Amino acid sequence: MAELAGQAQDARKPETRRRPKARYAMPLKIALGWLALLALWEIAGRQQWVAGGALPSPSGILGQLIVDWHDYPEHIRATVRTSLIGFLLGNLVAVLVGFLMASWRPAGRLLSGVNVTLFAMPPIALTPILVIAFDGDAPRIALAALSTYYPTMVATVLGLTRVDARLLDLVRLYGGGRWATLRWIRLRHALPTLLAGLRVAAPNAVLGSLLAEFGSGAGAGLGHYLIGSLGRGDPARLWGIGLVATAISAGFYLSILLLARGWVGRQAPAQESLGGSSSGSMSRAGRLLCLAISVTLPVLLWWAAVWGLERVGVSPFVLRSPPELVVELFSTMRPESLTRIVGGALAQTVPWCLAGMLVGLAFALLLAIVGTLSPVLGRVLMPLSLLTQSMPLVALTPLIVLIFGRDGATILAITISVTFFPAYVTLAQGMALVPAATRDCVRVLGGSRWREIRLVSLPWSLPYLCAAARLVAPRAFLGVMIAEWLATGTGVGNLLNVARGSLDYGLVWAVVVAAVLVSVLLYLAVTLIEHWVLKRYAMASAS
Amino acid sequence: MTSAGLQLDRVSRRFDVDGRSLLALDAVSLDAPAGSFIALIGPSGCGKSTLLRMLAGLDQPTSGELRVGGETPLALQQRGALGIAFQEASLLPWRSVESNVRFPFDVIGRMTQADRERVREMIALVGLEGFEQALPSQLSGGMRQRVAIARALVSQPQLLLLDEPFGALDQILRRSMNEELQRLWLNRPVTTVMVTHSVDEAIFLADKVVVMSGRPGRIARVVDIPFPRERPLSLLASAECRELEAELLTLMFEGKPSDQDDSQDECRHG
Repeated sequence: MAELAGQAQDARKPETRRRPKARYAMPLKIALGWLALLALWEIAGRQQWVAGGALPSPSGILGQLIVDWHDYPEHIRATVRTSLIGFLLGNLVAVLVGFLMASWRPAGRLLSGVNVTLFAMPPIALTPILVIAFDGDAPRIALAALSTYYPTMVATVLGLTRVDARLLDLVRLYGGGRWATLRWIRLRHALPTLLAGLRVAAPNAVLGSLLAEFGSGAGAGLGHYLIGSLGRGDPARLWGIGLVATAISAGFYLSILLLARGWVGRQAPAQESLGGSSSGSMSRAGRLLCLAISVTLPVLLWWAAVWGLERVGVSPFVLRSPPELVVELFSTMRPESLTRIVGGALAQTVPWCLAGMLVGLAFALLLAIVGTLSPVLGRVLMPLSLLTQSMPLVALTPLIVLIFGRDGATILAITISVTFFPAYVTLAQGMALVPAATRDCVRVLGGSRWREIRLVSLPWSLPYLCAAARLVAPRAFLGVMIAEWLATGTGVGNLLNVARGSLDYGLVWAVVVAAVLVSVLLYLAVTLIEHWVLKRYAMASAS
Repeated sequence: MTSAGLQLDRVSRRFDVDGRSLLALDAVSLDAPAGSFIALIGPSGCGKSTLLRMLAGLDQPTSGELRVGGETPLALQQRGALGIAFQEASLLPWRSVESNVRFPFDVIGRMTQADRERVREMIALVGLEGFEQALPSQLSGGMRQRVAIARALVSQPQLLLLDEPFGALDQILRRSMNEELQRLWLNRPVTTVMVTHSVDEAIFLADKVVVMSGRPGRIARVVDIPFPRERPLSLLASAECRELEAELLTLMFEGKPSDQDDSQDECRHG
């Protein structure tokens, strides 16, 4: 939700007035910065500076794209079709759930377990099960829909509930009830926020669709094409596929952006309130009951899904309900117990994830500071960061593999790259919000720029750093698993890949459940740290 | 619709904050005839806004009774007979000026030809002709507040409630808006209750200034403002006005309820 918050904050920023000369100087510098980057890339590509040609020149990529063009339409159609259907379905459910949560407060509590799971769950972890249970387009649509759900749901709730209380009073004052409030205020107020949520959800849908092609027999689709081309080791083609996937994703993003501009103008989306949700008037026992239900609900949903799949004719042989899996987990009939296999894989994966996340966050913080010192650099980097937000993670991975090889360095590079950009966006936007008056206080006392950063900007950005860490934790885990699946053949990612191949369905389910569980726990751990830090520094949450 | 008098009879309001019970308003009683302009002043936390919210029917007293022309505020709500303006203009950002002024009719759910005429008339009265189609974000703070006032008056309410309507404006703009509000009000004197922090604003506009004291909120004194209408802005510089201002300020800073004997006919405080 960093982006939602970011946009709202952008809209609040007062317009800065510059002298006419300076007004043209800035865009010129930014354009020159971009050109310089592009030129550097072209030279680096031509001279094969990076890993013996793993980074082709832009012209080389374009040339290969034209040569391969006859392959593309089929794959593009499949990817666009499945992500679009998934996008629509996922958003439909998300908006309905959002309405429920906005109109009936306890629903939010009861569903929090499901919501956190859907947010933190690495989509790739579900791929093996979806591929086992469904065929055709269904796995891709399902994963696209699941990846879409969270941002839209949050945006719907925010938009419907974070309304200026006086506007609600106004309607009541004229005798309007709940329905009148919804009709005249809430629905229209929710619109910009909902559209901002859809914008975040759109690239997620494309990513979901691509990830579901991993290890599936799908004949067409860019994910499939990417994996098929990975073995051929043709960098220019891989870059081409990555760029096309990114273009689709960015196209989704931009069409919603334009729709929003045309429909609601530049009205800012609502922000999540600072200080978190109030516990309301619920008793302690009531809260505990809600917590128990919310934790149980994801498990019940899993159970219900298995039950439903059996009813529609999926072989019980490939399915595992929660109790069945528990029994199998501690079964002594297997040559090597499931807990050992999965535990061993996790022990490989988790340290990489933590290391990559920390380095990525540190880089982001460093660059955000440099960005406040050199605005031009910040404004060249920001669009690039936003671009990578809409770039599907999978499109990035083969490129990193080409550059860094098939060992730990790749895992680290992928994890850093998936954590760096969103963290940078969150931090840079946070630092841009330091009140000028507070900064001036340091200046007036004769403090240097560095002192101002140390005393004001850094502490100020602490909530944003925490929010960034929380946002990127599940992404980091996903990044590591994609790297393991595609490149290194280690850890949980690899296990997800090979378990299905060996027809060991117990193992498939054990790995999937473990991956989801660890990701959720990682997210919760970061949330706890965030709470502790914010409490210690008496600050409010930044997202 | 004609406007209605106010009868407040030992109105109290208790809030539960963190498990503690807080008395925000303690047995406030007040009578005011129809068509009078009442200003509520007092330190922060003296219950002015609580009182205003109860008059708007947005909050209910814990004990005691409020009547507006013999009716409860809720009954007035149902008839669409209330009008309110807040400190921030609180316009609907997606609606044009014209559409914002029309808003009460949309909620009430009926709009006659006369109402349509009235929307146009109100926009002209607050001097916003030519800005009908502008969005709130394109207006200055003063213009936004004019829209909010027009919206509050458009349905010809029997009771007009103003919650620090000019609190966010600068002093000069505030004075001119005071003058404008007086003109609108003299045009059709509706019973008005205004919460304000500004003593001279209260003197300039009100027939009665109700000075409240805090924790728990009580009426310290009700002061009649003797100056005849229409009052010029130069009034604020006069010696009588200065004297009155000083008296009210003293009352506010004392923050204690006065003795029973001092109370005026209209004011029976608890």
